[in-house]
Amino acid sequence: MSTIRVPTTSSRWLTLKRRRQIAGVIFALPAIALVVCFIGVPVGQDVYYSFTQWDGQTATWIGLSTWSQAIHNPNLWTALRNNGLLLLSVPFALGLPLCIAVLLHQRVAGWRIFRTIYFLPTAISWVVLGLVAERFFAYQGTLNSIIHALGFSHFSTNMLGYQSEALVALGITFIFTMVGTNTMLFLTGLATLDPTLEEAARIDGAGPWRIFRSITLPHLSRFIQLAFVMTVIALFSALFSLIFVLTGGGPGYATTTVEYLIYETGFNQGDFGTAALYGLILFVITGIVGVVQLRLIGSNE
Amino acid sequence: MADITFEGVTKIFADNIRAVDDLSLHVADGEFMVLVGPSGCGKTTALRMLAGLEDITSGSLSIGGTVVNNVLPKDRDVAMVFQNYALYPHMTVAQNMGFALKIRGYSKSEIAKKVSEAAAILHLSEYLERRPRALSGGQRQRVAMGRAIVRSPQAFLMDEPLSNLDAQLRVEMRLEIARIQRLLGVATVYVTHDQIEAMTMGDRVAVMRGGKLQQCDTPQDLYDHPHNEFVAGFMGSPPMNLLRARLDATNGPSIEFGTQRVAIPTSYSSSHTLPSGDGPGVIFGIRPEDVQVVEAGDHAGTLTTKVERREALGAEILVHLSLVNAAGTSTLVVDDDGAVVTRPTTMVAKMGPRSGVAVGDHLRVRFNPDRFHFFDAAGGDSLRKS
Repeated sequence: MSTIRVPTTSSRWLTLKRRRQIAGVIFALPAIALVVCFIGVPVGQDVYYSFTQWDGQTATWIGLSTWSQAIHNPNLWTALRNNGLLLLSVPFALGLPLCIAVLLHQRVAGWRIFRTIYFLPTAISWVVLGLVAERFFAYQGTLNSIIHALGFSHFSTNMLGYQSEALVALGITFIFTMVGTNTMLFLTGLATLDPTLEEAARIDGAGPWRIFRSITLPHLSRFIQLAFVMTVIALFSALFSLIFVLTGGGPGYATTTVEYLIYETGFNQGDFGTAALYGLILFVITGIVGVVQLRLIGSNE
Repeated sequence: MADITFEGVTKIFADNIRAVDDLSLHVADGEFMVLVGPSGCGKTTALRMLAGLEDITSGSLSIGGTVVNNVLPKDRDVAMVFQNYALYPHMTVAQNMGFALKIRGYSKSEIAKKVSEAAAILHLSEYLERRPRALSGGQRQRVAMGRAIVRSPQAFLMDEPLSNLDAQLRVEMRLEIARIQRLLGVATVYVTHDQIEAMTMGDRVAVMRGGKLQQCDTPQDLYDHPHNEFVAGFMGSPPMNLLRARLDATNGPSIEFGTQRVAIPTSYSSSHTLPSGDGPGVIFGIRPEDVQVVEAGDHAGTLTTKVERREALGAEILVHLSLVNAAGTSTLVVDDDGAVVTRPTTMVAKMGPRSGVAVGDHLRVRFNPDRFHFFDAAGGDSLRKS
């Protein structure tokens, strides 16, 4: 025999719905605390320091003058323009892996080996990749050796040495570093594609190109969106090691991105206040990219 | 519209697996042909070869008199309904159904017209703008059918289209598919492992096992005159009772089950090639509905049995009987592909729902003398003269 407890006054107030709400808040608290500590507080500090002149030890409030100085600093605009130009590499950083993934998915001969080869760079530090790229693009590097060997010596280049070409070399290196991750992402997407859909389309009369366009691509759209977000964010906030090793931001400011400019301004020039402002600008840009992207994904379905 | 001919079609997969072995089969224009058999019997492979999704190792396959061995699926003009429906998830019902027409360059108004016609036949008109995920299983099944019928193809190919539906819906769609097929009169090859679907839907049924065609006949012929032990055991629910027995000629032709015997009517010696001489074994087959319980009185030609189990199905009771005093009771041994190798001397009888039979009772049963089946004890082939 079991007895049913008569609800007391306090448990009458604690309805099941309220209990669930309280439990929800309690479970969310640690996460909220972490977000506030490690994101909220630093962002707040960053905003504060952007109004100061700060050498790393003493911060002097100078109000908006950091802002007006920064806006009139041509290096910031160069860095922003470089970031904008580097965005042109994104279609390649997505398109190339898409082609590779579709080919590998056809189980071409030796696809396992190719898969490993394409994914391997992902497991290597970007510092190492940067060094390899530096050796590749250098005046006496691999690229020119190949050009010489093919007999086109008068086309030999010095991409890292010219302001006009260094950014292209950086873009190519960036594409190369993203190929592995994005290929894997697309291969995963393709693996979740029901093969009978393709068979149904073949019977419906679709050729390979039509199947790719009407079946494969729509299925991959979510994966492509994810890859796009990851690639763009990486472009804005993960290029530092590549630039540092490859060009050091030069020649001049030709390969300096906003991210690299933060380091340059803060640690080389000791102007942490301005660096904090650049950090804020970068934060806003990536934030906008993220929000726009979330909107796009949300509006899709 | 066209007929379909398999001529000695063989499919050997890598690892030398012979999925379909020398299949010869003709499906007439407008005919509903069911391929049935246990899993791994090659029926789906045969269908996929017809669709062009698998290439043919040897033999020739023709649709409408044209050999299609090397014709791409898109040029065969056949429509297929898949087991999982394979609906394009990002397209609406209307887009799913119109996809093939769009590829073939039909105008938008033509596509809309054909799609709405097909939707009307399938009672899908109000769902045309929905995505597949917003449909129930039965509706998805209809869309898959719709995708096939809008094209007015040469042939319909269906790969277990009802196996993902619940029992009630399956019965409903069984009738629906048969109705649509009769309405359109398009040659149809329908693959299933469910012998009830095969019996109820097919104009003719082809039974396959281990890649080989066992028998192709109308459902009734298949049921009444199975060519071999496998077909006899596969078609019908519960299946035919197959009993290992000895023929005894000393006191007139009779079948001997241990110490009991049943006389064989004389007509069987002319219609069947029964082993001559004394004592050779045969497999004796009798359908559950042909095992009749004798209430009292005349005991001539009856067997004494004991009730081992009873299964009440509401409309009838299935009674599992064992022969009393039967020597050498063997156990049921089943082959890899589901074929029964040896059977115990037990059998199933169908009885009326009000018969107060209980486990342990002794019953006297008689076999319907017009419905005896004899199969070769070694090869399992029917001993009936063709």
